[in-house]
This record gives sequence, C-alpha cells and structure tokens, in this order.
Amino acid sequence: MSISRPIPIPSTPLIRRAAAFQAALRRPDYRGLYLPAALVVLWSLATYFGWVDTRILVSPLETLKTAWHLLISKMLWVSLGYSLARDASGFLAGSIIGLLLGTLLGTSRLADRLISPTFHAFKQIAVFAWIPLIAVWFGLGEPAKIAFIALVVFPPVLLNTFDGIRSVSRDYIEVARAFEFSTLQQSLRVILPAALPQIFTGLRLGLIYAWLATIGAEYFLKAAPGVGNILIDGREKFLMDQVITGVAVVAAVGYVFHYLTARLEKRLLSWRTRTDVP
Amino acid sequence: MNAQATQLALGSPTLSPVRTWIVPRWIGQSFAVTARTLFLPLLILGLWQLTSWRGWIAPQILPAPTIVWATFVELIRSGDTPTNLLISLERVGWGFLAGGSIGLVFGILMAQFPSFRAYVYPSFTIFTQVPALGWIPLLMMFVGIGEALKIIIIAKAAMVPVAINTFQGIRNIPENHFEVASVFRLTRLQVVHKVILPAALPSIFTGLRYGLTHAWLALVTVELLASSEGIGFQMVWGRQLFQLDVVIASILVIGIVGLSIDLVFSLIESRLLRWRRAAF
Amino acid sequence: MAKPGTLSIVNVSKKYKVSGREFPVLEDISLDIAPGEFVSVVGSSGCGKSTLLRLVMGLDNGYQGEILLDGVKIKGPGLDRGIVFQEHRLFPWLNVEKNIGLALQNSPLSPAARRDAIREHIELVGLVGFEKALPNQLSGGMSQRVAIARALVNRPEILLLDEPFGALDAINRTKLQAELQRIWQVEGITMVLVTHDVEEAVFLGDRIVVMQQRPGRIKRIVPVTKPHPRTRNDFDLLQIRESVVAEFSNVAVETVIA
Ligand SMILES: Nc1ncnc2c1ncn2[C@@H]1O[C@H](COP(=O)(O)OP(=O)(O)O)[C@@H](O)[C@H]1O
Ligand SMILES: [Mg+2]
Repeated sequence: MSISRPIPIPSTPLIRRAAAFQAALRRPDYRGLYLPAALVVLWSLATYFGWVDTRILVSPLETLKTAWHLLISKMLWVSLGYSLARDASGFLAGSIIGLLLGTLLGTSRLADRLISPTFHAFKQIAVFAWIPLIAVWFGLGEPAKIAFIALVVFPPVLLNTFDGIRSVSRDYIEVARAFEFSTLQQSLRVILPAALPQIFTGLRLGLIYAWLATIGAEYFLKAAPGVGNILIDGREKFLMDQVITGVAVVAAVGYVFHYLTARLEKRLLSWRTRTDVP
Repeated sequence: MNAQATQLALGSPTLSPVRTWIVPRWIGQSFAVTARTLFLPLLILGLWQLTSWRGWIAPQILPAPTIVWATFVELIRSGDTPTNLLISLERVGWGFLAGGSIGLVFGILMAQFPSFRAYVYPSFTIFTQVPALGWIPLLMMFVGIGEALKIIIIAKAAMVPVAINTFQGIRNIPENHFEVASVFRLTRLQVVHKVILPAALPSIFTGLRYGLTHAWLALVTVELLASSEGIGFQMVWGRQLFQLDVVIASILVIGIVGLSIDLVFSLIESRLLRWRRAAF
Repeated sequence: MAKPGTLSIVNVSKKYKVSGREFPVLEDISLDIAPGEFVSVVGSSGCGKSTLLRLVMGLDNGYQGEILLDGVKIKGPGLDRGIVFQEHRLFPWLNVEKNIGLALQNSPLSPAARRDAIREHIELVGLVGFEKALPNQLSGGMSQRVAIARALVNRPEILLLDEPFGALDAINRTKLQAELQRIWQVEGITMVLVTHDVEEAVFLGDRIVVMQQRPGRIKRIVPVTKPHPRTRNDFDLLQIRESVVAEFSNVAVETVIA
C-alpha cells in the first residue's frame, strides 16, 4: 500500500457531479467514438462477407473514395453554390417579412389582435403541404423554391421578433421616458437592443430552417442543380455512396451554420454573459 | 406566446378578471374577441371570392372559395377524405407511439446513466443533425418506399424532441430536490416516482407535444414523396389532375388536424400541470 | 417666483383602477420642499411611496391635486428632475460611460461638454477606472452609483430616490448613504429619498415624512435639525429614530385594537 493515501472525499450527489464535470474537462471523452466505430466495422464486415447486396451497400472504403472524388470534383461545389444561393435568397426574403411583421405585431396591439390568431392557425399547417400550391402559383423554377424557403423562414423570425419586442421590460421604457426620449430614440436605443437577443435567436432558427427548406425545395420542386439533386440522383441510380456523401454534405453545412451563428451571437451579445472585472 | 400570456397573467394579479357575471358585458367581450379573430380570415375570404367573381385570376390557379368548400364537403361525403385521413392518422399514431416510447426510454437512460450518455450521446447528436430529407433516400434503398419507410421517418421525427426534452427535463431538476429526498430517506423507486417524474413532467410533456407536431409534419412530407394513399397523397393526386380545389381542401384538412393536435395538447397541459401555475 | 428646486405637492390623491374597482393609494398629500432640502419619506411597503415619486417624476398621471416644480405644474417627465429606482435599471448592453451618456441624449450640451459631464460624474460617484465596464461586471453597490451618476448628469434641480439602497447589503448600504450625503452637500440640489429604513431616513433627511398605509397619508413630519455632515450614532439622531419607529409600532397597536 502506498503511504500517501488520497483523502477520502464524502460522496454527495453534488460533489460527485462536480467531480465528474471536472474530470470531463481534463480529458476528452473517447467513449462516444465506440458506437460509430462499431457501426463502421459492422458495415465493413457486411460488405466484405457479402451479407448484403454490395450493388446497393458498398464498403466504407468505396464510400470514402466516392466522397473524395466528389469533393475534388467541380460538380459538388457548383451544386453547393446553387443551393447556398437559393438558401440565402429565401432566407433574406423570409427574414425581412418576419422582421417587419414581427415588429408590426409587437408594437401594435391592434395589429396583434387582428393578425395573430390567423397567423397561429396558419403556422399549424405542415409546411410541405404548401408545396403543391406553390408549384401551381410560382411554377417549378427558382421563384417557387425561394418562395417555399421564405415561407419556412418567416414564422420563427416573426415569433421571436414579436416576443423580443413584447418582453422588453417596462422598467427600461420608464428610464427612457425619464430622460425624455423621443419615440425614435426609444425604439433605437432601448427596444431594439433589448429585443436583439431574441431577434437573433429567431434569425438563427430561420437560417437553420432555411437550409432544410432548401433541400426540401430541391426535392419536391423539379430537379435543378443543387445538393438535393445529388441525393435524388444518387438514389435513382442506386449509388449509395453518392447518397451518403450528399447527406454528409447537407449535415456539414447545417453544422457550419449552427457553429458560425453561435460564434456571432456570442460576439454580438457579449453583454449578456457575466465576465469578471479585471 | 402562450407562455408569455400565462406569465402576464401571473405577473400582475390585477389583470385576472373578476367574474362579475354581468351577462351583457361578458357577451360583448367574447363577441369582440370573435370579431377580431375572424376579421382577417373573412377579409381574405372576401377578397378571394371577389377575385373569382371578377375573373381576375383563372380558376385553374385559384378556384373560388365556394368551389373549394363544395369540394371539401364532397370529399368528406364521398368518403375520400375520411379514408385518406384515417390512413394518415394511423401512420402517425404508430410512428408516434414507436418514436415517443423510444425517445422516452432513451431520454431517461441518458439522464440517469452517465456512462450510457457518454457512449451514445455524440452519435445521437449526429443522428438528429441529419434532417429527415437526408435519411429518406438512404432508407428508401434499404426498406423501399412502403409502409416501413413512413413509420420509420415519422418515428424518428417524434423520437428526437421527446428524447431531448425528457433528458433535459430530468437533468434540470435542481440538486436540492434530491437532497430533500435523501434527507427523508426516499428509496430509489420513490425518488423516481415522487421527484423525477413530477419535476420533469412539464418538460416531457413539451417533448411529446413537439414530437406529435413533428410527426404530423413528417407524415405530410413522406406522403408527398412516396405514397398512394393518405391525405398527402390526396393532395398530390389533386395537383396531378390540376384540381386545385382538391389541393386547397386537403391543405385545410392538414391545417385542421395540426390545429387540433395543438389545441388538445394545450388543454391537457393546462389540466395536468396545474400545480405549476399554483407554485409560482 | 419660487427658487429653482422648490417642489410643492398640494392635496394630491391618487387612485388605481383594478378590474373595474378603484383603490385609493394616496390621499390628500400636501408637502412643500425647499430648494436644497433633503426630505426622507418613510413608510411600510405598499403605502404609496413609489407612487408619490412616480407622480413627481411624471411617469404616472391621472391624479387629483397639483404638483408644482418652481411654481410650474408638472406635465410628464423632464430633465429638470432625476430619478434613481430601487433596481439600478442600467441598460445591460451599454458600458458605464455610455449608460451615463444615455441621459444626455436630449441635453443641449455640446459633445465635448457631454464628455466632461460624464467624466465628472464618474468621479463624483467614485467609479474612475470602471468607465468601460458592463453592468453585469459591476456589484450591486457599483451599479447604484452608476444609476446615481446617470440621474445627476443632467444637473436636475431635484433628485428623486426610490429605495435606492434597498437591495444592498448592510455594509454597502452604510457606505453609499455616506456617499449620498457627500454628493448632496457638493451638488446642493433638492433630494427626496423614499425608504422603509428609518435609520437611513433619519441619518440623511432634514425632514422625515412618515406615511401611513391604506390609503397612503402623511401621518407626521419630523424635523431633523442636526447639521450635516452627520455621524451615524449621534445621540439626537438615535432619539429621533426611536420616536419615528414608535410611530410604526403605534400603527400596529391601533390596527390590532381596531
Ligand atoms: N399600476 C398599478 N396598478 C394598480 N395598483 C398599483 C399600481 N402600482 C401600485 N399599485 C398599488 O398601489 C399601492 C402602493 O404602491 P407603491 O407606491 O409601489 O408602494 P410602496 O412604494 O410604498 O411600496 C400598492 O398597494 C400597489 O399594489
Ligand atoms: Mg416602492
């Protein structure tokens, strides 16, 4: 036995949790890798021993090769460019509508009372149900896709803008009144900054939804160059490796949006988090 | 919205209406609410009808409300809508049942067993990050475009919010609840029954609510993509025949179901979770 | 004409309407405050102290009676009055300097004069070095100092303080009370301090307005002639404190008997 025995720490749930947390901070947790690794091994074995039809399910190595070929091909990047352009246009249109309507409903009780009930009913319609109507009204080209993306983007932006404006504390408004702020000053210097975190949340949600809607639009509204097309094409030709690569690209873009907006949010809204005085 | 409204009512007790039972005022108020709720729908309906009367827009692009209504009624009377809806609801039911139960178990396991969480959580995150439309082509290659595809997609849609909310609901239970439980020497089973379930219930409920909403959304998506029956198919069918009245009538049905899901859940929620309001 | 900083409250009554019924909050309040005077208003929670200040500030209206500043009836908020709320109400997205500068949005000063005014007031409340700090980096006491600077930067004729130290710990409260006494002496402006802390009221006030509850009424006005600066444990002040505290225990006895 060693001489320097560790001092026994009483084991309360709180201390256990704190200890676990600190331990987690010290070393990366590799346990999360086992499950994906096991899946890949199973996948390899299945294709190697021919447990599955290898015309459909190609081996992980083949899939990686295809992914690599796609990644260095122009096709993938051109498609991604098209999809992102679509995504940006739809997001822009949808978020402008959402911001304007949200501001209107947030600042005007009358507008809120007249419009909000209809909006909340409208919101309950599953978005993809609009696809056939949009197809008839906007055709199957770009306008229809952008309209669909905008339709998906505007509700979360509207809701969060509305909530953000409505939940500005009356205390702040009173301060503004005490300093004789004009309506414009009050809007720009008090309501806007106070509502900004939530407006940002709405825009962030909108951006993430926009990407899903982009893939959806490419799926449902006639093939056009884009990432969605890689998926459809891959499925029709039974190119599993191409489909997997496409899915990975879709997920990666979604993750990049998620990450970048989180960073931006942290930067813009640093005043919300407590930092210690130097 | 809803939460805010409750908060408003909670924050200032002065706002809660005192029931005076003066009939004229009560009627007057509910009339005003009805009037302003219906204002916009009626306005849209009126304009829509006007455009058809005046022939501003071709009926192939926008059929008159009267025609849509007639189609809506006819589709119900002929049994088309009920049959299709029943098929859709059955799919959602099974999918939600499967996805919801898996999500519930999964969420509880992740919250209660840290090592289970360590092994599984990263994979789970990746799984949730890939949207349904990403999984659909993959699944189609494995299970074809039959019933299995639909149920799996719906179940996945339902499972994710249920799992996440259950997990977070349990994790966010304040530590001092457990300390109280240990002071009173509750057994592990009692802790689950007396502390974990009631404290996490609101969150679990939110998860179930989102789960069902997402399940309904997924159903419409998957039926639009690959189906020969169901309410989504009815819509596709209407579009292929260039019968926009059928399309709009189907959208109406989809909206009504969505609205009912939301309504039923808010009703249950306000019943079931009444202690929450009393507590604050 | 009255001198700058004269506040006259004449027969003011205020009712709040709650679900159709009217509740009297203030009843027949009359009070004359001389320029440069420090008046403390004490009363238990809910007796309408904040309501009175809000009326003077012009944040609430719809009352009976008159409130005159320098002989002119008050209509709405104005830069001639400054206010410090119980919660600091600093804007969390602005740093100390900018929070104070916010009060100068509608000031006639030139940009350079504004900068000077901000700097002076940061010095006045002893926060030099914290100009760039955000509110969530400040302690409660520091935040209230910023709020005081913000209220004073416009050089108002009268400063209204609504339980400004109510949320602070005892040590900080004592410190800030002394600071406030110093600031009042330096600036020489009229101050009205609302508090439920009798010691604070007596330590700072030239007069103590004792309010009673439901509806809010002035029960008694106690003069404190002791010159400033005062020391906390002065025997005369202790005696006045005793007598004011007795007022409140009497109320309690009356209520029990009634
Ligand atoms: N906006 C309002 N509407 C209705 N009643 C109010 C309102 N503001 C204050 N009151 C009531 O008026 C009374 C006095 O409030 P207040 O002036 O804040 O008291 P104090 O500041 O002395 O604690 C309280 O009973 C309070 O409930
Ligand atoms: Mg008060």
